Amino acid sequence: MTNSTTIPISSDPNTDIACRTIDKEERSLLRKVIDRIADRCRSRSLFILHYCTGCGAIELPPTITSRFDSERLGIQPMVTPRQADILLITGYLSVKTLKRVILSYEQMQGPKYVIGMGSCTINGGMYWNSYATIKRLQEYMPVDLYIAGCMPRPEAIQQGFIQLMDHIDKGQANAWETYYRNYDAYLGNQQALFGPNWHTPTDVIAEARHYNFFTEKSIGKHTALLAKFASEYVTQPIPSQVLSQEEIVE
Amino acid sequence: MSEQLPEVLESVFREIPNLAFEQKGARRLRVKLRADALPALLELLKGRAGYLHLSAISCVDWPTLNEFELVYHLWSYEIKTLVSAHIYIPKKPGRYVSVYDIYTPAAFFERDIHEMFGVYFEGSPDMEPFILTEWEGPPPMLKSFSTVDYVEKTFKWQDYSPEWLIETE
Repeated sequence: MTNSTTIPISSDPNTDIACRTIDKEERSLLRKVIDRIADRCRSRSLFILHYCTGCGAIELPPTITSRFDSERLGIQPMVTPRQADILLITGYLSVKTLKRVILSYEQMQGPKYVIGMGSCTINGGMYWNSYATIKRLQEYMPVDLYIAGCMPRPEAIQQGFIQLMDHIDKGQANAWETYYRNYDAYLGNQQALFGPNWHTPTDVIAEARHYNFFTEKSIGKHTALLAKFASEYVTQPIPSQVLSQEEIVE
Repeated sequence: MSEQLPEVLESVFREIPNLAFEQKGARRLRVKLRADALPALLELLKGRAGYLHLSAISCVDWPTLNEFELVYHLWSYEIKTLVSAHIYIPKKPGRYVSVYDIYTPAAFFERDIHEMFGVYFEGSPDMEPFILTEWEGPPPMLKSFSTVDYVEKTFKWQDYSPEWLIETE
C-alpha cells in the first residue's frame, strides 16, 4: 500500500500507483540481504523484560547469572518494556496479572517476542481448575515459543532461547505481527475477561498502520467498543465503519 | 496435655456463659462459644490477658451445615498461648459484627472473608472488593461454587499434540 496522497491512485488498496497488483512476497535482493543481516544482529542481542509471574521467576537467576550465563547468548534482563525484546511469561497468569502483562506487551517496540514458560501458560497447568488464572496465553497475545515443564530447568530455558535465536535468525519469529493483523480477535478475548470497558493507552491500530500490518481483521466489532475512549492523542478508537471507508478512499 | 490453664485465662473463660475450651497442645487452646459472646471474649482477652495480636480470622464453609464457622486466632506475648475462638453464624443472612473496634487488623481479614465467602461484617470500615477486582460471580470460596464449571464456561482448552514438542537431550 502506498502512502502517496498527491498522485491519484486506483481505489483498490492492493494496487500500487501503476495499478499493478502488489505482490506482498516481492522483495528486492538488496532488501533481503539487509533483512538477513539485521535479523542476524537482532538475534545476537536480546533483552528480556525483567518481569516475572508465578513460580518461574526462581529459574531465571541461575539462567542469567554465572551458572548457565545466558549472556553468552547475548541475552540480558532489561528493566523497561520499551527497551526489551523478549517478554518471558514465567508461569501462571491470573486475570489481574494478565492486564498488566498486556499493558507491558503493548509498550514493547517491535519486533518483540513472547516466550511462554511452564505448562501453566500452555493449558493452565496445575491451576487448570482455578477460576482466577487464564489457561491459554496465546488467546491474549501471540506467543513465539512455549517451553514446557513445571517448571522447566535452566537448561531447557537456554535451549528455548537458542531456538528463539534460531527462529529470529531465519526470520521466522514473526508472531508479534499477528497481534496487529488480528488485533480485533485478541481484543475480543481480552474483553471477554475484563469487560467491554477494557482499553489500553497504546494506539495499537495506529501502530499496525505504521508497521504496515493493517488488515481488515485489525478492526471489527471489538475495536468499535474502544470508540468511547477516544482522545485527541489516541486515534485508536475510530469506529470501524469510518475506518473502513477511509481505507477504501486510500 | 494436662497443663494447668493460666489463671488469668481461666478467669476470663469463667465470665463467658456457654463457653467450652479444649487444650489442643502445649500452647494451643480451642475455644468454642456462642456468636454473640465473641466481642466480649475478645475485649476480656485483650484487656486482662494481653492478647494484643489478632493473627487471623478464618472462615469455613461446611457444606453439610447451614452455618459458617468463623475462627479468630489470637496470640498473647505474655501468656504465649494461641487461642482459637470458634463461632458459628447462620449462612442465610450471613451477617456478623465487625471486631474492628477491638483489633484494627480485623478490617483486612473481614474484607477478605466478605469477598471470598460473602459474609457481611457490620461496622467494618471497608467491604469493597479486595483482590478480585475483575470478579462478578458469586464468592468463589463457597463450597456451592463449582470452579470447574466456571472454568469450563469461561476458558477454552487446547488439546495436546506431541508434534509441538522438541526433545532436548
